[in-house]
Amino acid sequence: MNCLDYRRLLAAGEAETADMKAHRLQCTACAAQFVEHGEFERELRSGMAVEIPPGFHERAKNAILFSRRRFLAAAGVAAVAAGIGAYAWLGRDGPLAMACIEFVMKEEGKSIMMGAMPRTEAEAALAGTLPLARIERIGQVKHIAPCPFNGATAYHVVLSVPQGKVTLLVMPESRVSSSQQAGYDGLYASVVALPRGSVGVVGSDSAVVNSVVGALRA
Amino acid sequence: MRFEDLVRQHAADLYRYAYWLARDRQQAEDIVQEALLRGWRAYPRLREQAAAKSWLFSIVRNEYLRAMESNARQPESLQDFDPPDERAANPGLEMREALLSLPASYAEPLALQVLGGFSCAEIAAMLGTTEGATMTRLTRARQALKRLVAPGSSKERKGGRS
Repeated sequence: MNCLDYRRLLAAGEAETADMKAHRLQCTACAAQFVEHGEFERELRSGMAVEIPPGFHERAKNAILFSRRRFLAAAGVAAVAAGIGAYAWLGRDGPLAMACIEFVMKEEGKSIMMGAMPRTEAEAALAGTLPLARIERIGQVKHIAPCPFNGATAYHVVLSVPQGKVTLLVMPESRVSSSQQAGYDGLYASVVALPRGSVGVVGSDSAVVNSVVGALRA
Repeated sequence: MRFEDLVRQHAADLYRYAYWLARDRQQAEDIVQEALLRGWRAYPRLREQAAAKSWLFSIVRNEYLRAMESNARQPESLQDFDPPDERAANPGLEMREALLSLPASYAEPLALQVLGGFSCAEIAAMLGTTEGATMTRLTRARQALKRLVAPGSSKERKGGRS
């Protein structure tokens, strides 16, 4: 490496390689250039490091869990579609089961619109928790995609069974200590532990929900 | 690595990168939030964990371009930059002010290099240009900054540099 090569790389801000270092150690002019460059780079880094707004990290975390704007928009669509105008939580059942119902009411449409994941990836993602083949023994999978749920990644499955549609939320990272049930606004949810993780089942008929839960655990 | 951990590690630099693209704090935050939501949904499909950081930066870039498109604003292109020459330069600016005076076509690769720690080759891949063109932009960006801050840099003006 000669001085020209060294200075060309330095001027572009490339990290010093072993070749560059070897040249610098035997060239006092380039060594001086390196010191000057270091001072400029420190000033540059400081200039680029704009202050992070207060609460940014918390808001970034929340953006992963829910996009507030989309959350409200989806809630509005769900309310209009259901013809209920407005709603308020009435029940005080199992919190995770209630969250599953809330997901179906507010987030399911959005999740479907965002598109499904490829089958091979779904098989791999669910393999350790609730194998896709086991789900398909119960009904026809209409949609499957990852989604933010309860502070972690869950897999949203829309399943068509002979009695209608049910929604599964497969939660590989959350394992409930005991089963939970909830009912709200014509929807019923049951969350049960799996050998690894949990699954929430939501449907409009409590008997169908219980039947799907039984089949999944069988 | 969980997506949440990846975000925790890089969120600050993603925000700063978005800021140097948009030059607006609120817009930078909006861009990052939208980018994180998209990233979160796509993360299970990311095959190379080693590429996760550049992948996140690329999502922020795409989100910025999308925001510009929906606002009917044209992001500055690679071709339309006009580097400040010595006559136009206003020497003695603070580094932050000097950076703000750089066109986006200079500031963007610089932000990727300084904040993201990416090499010229990686930046070229992210911006869809050649490594040589990226090196030229980075070199000219530094030259422009040096011209802007050199004669009476802020520290000198404040008498702080010894």
